[in-house]
Amino acid sequence: MSELAPLSIALLVLWGGIVALDLVSVPQAMLSRPLVVGMVAGWLVGDPEAGLRVGAVMELFALDVLPIGAVRYPDYGPATVVAAGLAAGAPWELGLGLAVGVGLVVAALGGWSLRLVRRMNARAIQRRAAALAAGESGAIRLLQYGGLFRDAARGIVLTGLGLLVAWALVRWLRLDRPTAVGLTLVAVGTGLAAAVNGAVRSAGRGARLRWLAAGAAVGTLLAVFR
Amino acid sequence: MTGRWRALLRLFAVQGTWNYERMLGVGMGYAAEPLLEDLKTVDPVRHGEAVVRSAEFFNCNPNLAGLALGATARAEYEDVPGPQIARLRTALCSPLGSLGDDLFWAGLVPALVGLALIAVVFGAGWWAILGFLVLYNAIRVGTAVWALKAGLDAGMRVGSAISASWIPRAIARIGPLAGAGIGLAVPLVAGWYLRGFGWSGGSGALAIAAAGLAVARWFGPSLTGVRFALLSMVLLLLFRRMGL
Amino acid sequence: MPLVLCRVDDRLVHGQVVIGWGRPLAIEFVALVDGGVATSQWEQDLYRMAVPPEIEVRFAATEDAAARLAEWQASDRRGLLLTGDIETMAALHRASPAVVHRINLGGIHHRAGRRERLPYLYLTDDEARALVALEADGAEVFAQDLPTSPVVELRNIV
Repeated sequence: MSELAPLSIALLVLWGGIVALDLVSVPQAMLSRPLVVGMVAGWLVGDPEAGLRVGAVMELFALDVLPIGAVRYPDYGPATVVAAGLAAGAPWELGLGLAVGVGLVVAALGGWSLRLVRRMNARAIQRRAAALAAGESGAIRLLQYGGLFRDAARGIVLTGLGLLVAWALVRWLRLDRPTAVGLTLVAVGTGLAAAVNGAVRSAGRGARLRWLAAGAAVGTLLAVFR
Repeated sequence: MTGRWRALLRLFAVQGTWNYERMLGVGMGYAAEPLLEDLKTVDPVRHGEAVVRSAEFFNCNPNLAGLALGATARAEYEDVPGPQIARLRTALCSPLGSLGDDLFWAGLVPALVGLALIAVVFGAGWWAILGFLVLYNAIRVGTAVWALKAGLDAGMRVGSAISASWIPRAIARIGPLAGAGIGLAVPLVAGWYLRGFGWSGGSGALAIAAAGLAVARWFGPSLTGVRFALLSMVLLLLFRRMGL
Repeated sequence: MPLVLCRVDDRLVHGQVVIGWGRPLAIEFVALVDGGVATSQWEQDLYRMAVPPEIEVRFAATEDAAARLAEWQASDRRGLLLTGDIETMAALHRASPAVVHRINLGGIHHRAGRRERLPYLYLTDDEARALVALEADGAEVFAQDLPTSPVVELRNIV
């Protein structure tokens, strides 16, 4: 992390802005899935393996989210960019735990920032209420551009701040090997719990639950005998 | 009616001004603009009213928003009374939200994420990521093209068009696939991470996972997965600092 | 099984209801109480379309629903009572306080005169007062859009 070049940091921040936009605003192409975000962020800083490992754990947490209706949820996109940047350059067994921990804090902040942008959008609409009531297409266009700009700015600021905090944290918190490994095991264990919780909740009590159980049984056998 | 392709492109940003008051409303208005353009010359008063209606409160799954957009735009050209269009728009929030969420957020996304995770575990690396993105986007872009066309073709009869469409059948198939995909992926991912940590490390992580499941059951939404993870990490750091 | 959830949501049947609550609570029927929808066949068709085939949707106007509450409560299927506004739910509570006892505010959105209390809950002062009166009348009122969101008791909203 401490060895990240300015260009790498700039690319990470830009990628953070893109994936923040992708989550809700545009184009919702699933670029913001942590698995994708992590691999690309890792590649940007020269360590795709660390990015993939971090991305897959963050993906387990993201599987607990069902973005239906107007529900509030963490934003795992910029969070995974920060986590992948933090984990790069060290063996993943040692770097993953702290990176995911910081990533989860950024994800929670990301959820809060998303709500902030939504409120700012509402206020912008209130300011243009008269133009909307008069059927002015120009007002709709301006509102739309404003919303997209706010969301992109949110992602850039969030990723930049997250990287800054991560950089300060690694300098302050020097972990010994057992602690670093312990954090990695906690990150993986809690991630697995989040994914199972989300899957069971979405499955209900019908056929889908039976498919989930069957998949889990086969997956366990494969994992054991692989 | 011209402007279909521009409307389709704009639909990909339908949530660009998402807010708690109108939700997707303004984004729908933005996407409707090219479709309503011809109305401006035919009937400017009606055009103004149509623009106002197009940006009112609206909420549905973004991937199916084209059905409502197309149907209401056609109804505006057919001179259907405004209150009736508004009522159709409101009622469409229901199936387009529910079916779209079931098809995409609870079905296709977890199914493809599960498959991508499995592929990653088996060493597919970049191919897993690319395959996931290409497959998902092929399906969602295809759906968006179909949805706008079906809405424009059906107008006020869009309800029948939805019920006769492929969507209900696709949901029935994708649900089990999502369940099986995630079911398969989670133990494989667990093995992928924990293999190198020996029995004690592996069983420790699985014990934490079991505790996480129990905590979710007992404490519900007050202790989310993220909070439980952060709490466990802080406790671990404190214990280590105390020399335990 | 009784009615396992009594929900006020102006979007009526949508993803949060069908997937968010419907799956974990294993809902088998939705009793949708709305005078306008109860008399409109095409709207009923749209709402029916929003649920999977294994969930039945029963439509009723307020008076009809008040008369059928006991029947729904005695049903051997798990049900969700759904209204689009507070007034209708309050009327159902008055008709059968024991059945409509714990009331979930799941989504009441912006309209002129309403003020934000939670991101998914906008109320006029009159609506807030109606909810307080409902609790004074013995009902328990809480806000929660999804089972994964925190429960917010009425005293923390109004």
